[in-house]
Order: sequence, then C-alpha cells, then structure tokens
Amino acid sequence: MNGTRPYWSPYVAGLALGVTLLATYLLMGFGLGASGAFAQIAARLEVAVAPGRAQATPYLMGYLEAGRLWAQWIVVEMVGVLVGAGLGAWTAGRFAWRLEKGPRIGAGRRLAFAFLGGATVGFASRVAQGCTSGVALSGGAVLAPGAWAFLAAFMAGGFATAWIVRRAWR
Amino acid sequence: MSWPLGLGGAGGLLVGLLAGVAFGFVLERGGLGDPKKLTALFYLEDFTMLQVMFTAIAVAAAGLGALSLLGVVDLTEIAVQPTYLWPQAVGGLILGVGFALGGY
Repeated sequence: MNGTRPYWSPYVAGLALGVTLLATYLLMGFGLGASGAFAQIAARLEVAVAPGRAQATPYLMGYLEAGRLWAQWIVVEMVGVLVGAGLGAWTAGRFAWRLEKGPRIGAGRRLAFAFLGGATVGFASRVAQGCTSGVALSGGAVLAPGAWAFLAAFMAGGFATAWIVRRAWR
Repeated sequence: MSWPLGLGGAGGLLVGLLAGVAFGFVLERGGLGDPKKLTALFYLEDFTMLQVMFTAIAVAAAGLGALSLLGVVDLTEIAVQPTYLWPQAVGGLILGVGFALGGY
C-alpha cells in the first residue's frame, strides 16, 4: 500500500457528505439517491427486450414516461458518483483493477455472491422505494419515519445474514 | 431568492452531476468504496459506515433546521420520502441481506 493516502476520518467524511446532501436539498428540493438510476436503466432494458410486457406494466411505464434517460436527474447524478469515486481513488493512489474479497473465498464464488447480493439489493430497493442513499441517508436527514424503519430493518437483515456468509468476508 | 431553488432543466442536471461527483468522491475517501470495510460493520469490526452516515444525517438535518429557523429555507418545499412502513421495513430487511451477501 505504498503511496496510498489513508482514508479520511469518518467524521470528516460524514461532515463533507452532510454538506453535499444539504447543498443538494437547498438547490434541488430533494436529496441524493442511487438505486433509482438502476431502475431507470432497467425499465429501458425491459422495453428493448420485451416491449409488450413492459408496456403492460404501469410501474415500468412510469419510468419510461419520465422521458430520455440522460435527462433523468438521478442517472446524471450516478454518472457523477462513478466519476467522483474514480477521482477519489485515483488521487489517493488507490485506483487499481482488483477484486475485494475475504481471504477464504475464491474469485468465482465471490463474484456469484456479488451478483446474488446485487440482485437482492435491486429487488429490495424497489420494495422500499429506494436504498441506503435515497431512503436511509436522504430520508433520515429530513426525519422521514419510513427511513428510520428502513435503517433498523437493514441492520437486522445485515446482521442476520452476515454470520451465514462469514466465509465470504472473514 | 427562496430556498430550495428547485432547479430544473440543464441547471438541475449540472447540479446533479456535481452533487454526484462530490458524493462519490467523499464516499471513496471515507473508505466506503471498499466492500470489506462496509461488510465489516456486520461483524462488529468497523463502524465507518454508521459514523459517516449518521454524521452526514446530523449535519444535513441541523443545517436544514437552522436555515428554516432563520427563515431562509421553506421546509414545506423540501421533498420528504413518503412513509410506507411495512414496504420500507421489509425492503430494508431484504436490502440488508443483499448487502451482507454482495458487499454492495
């Protein structure tokens, strides 16, 4: 890890994130998000693959009627997230091609877990109308009751599953 | 000028891009780009995610509250996530399962 900058103190990062979130609320009237961008893309993929089925699904049509993909605020924001995270890693000397995993799990199984976990998170984010960014972080900052219920349940789900899949990380 | 500005069009998208860049940069620099660090919370070994998240929530909430008291920002114009208790509790639970599995 030579030449790699250490991570910021979590309180410094939290302060910076809080200011970013506050500025977003002040300029836009709403907060930060993440999973909505994936839903926007998924709705358009479904139209490309199975147009009949997509058009018969009001939920998906809601996304499609919002207009062009690149005019969706959350999609543009997520592109920014990728750029910002890449920039953060690069300027800290951390930018590298590698698979983060626990010492006792193979790469194939780790990737399979990642896919399964990603699909589970994607599904869950539609059930909850958002993820840890849009519901827990942004909703938490405006004291939305559902955000705190979400956070408590998120912790419960994570702790309950962690022991079962501990070989993936420990 | 009344806050929130509620920007639309190209200006809103530009803010979205910049907010996203800041969001991604801060998360990475805070260590939340590392799935091992994220999942370590669930093994009680690393509390970075909670520290970053709750600090951010406190700063943004206090900022909005203070600016509202000063009459600068109209909180009725701020979007508050609607509460659907069971969907959000069940969704949160499933999301936690996926998070522990995949490391986000």
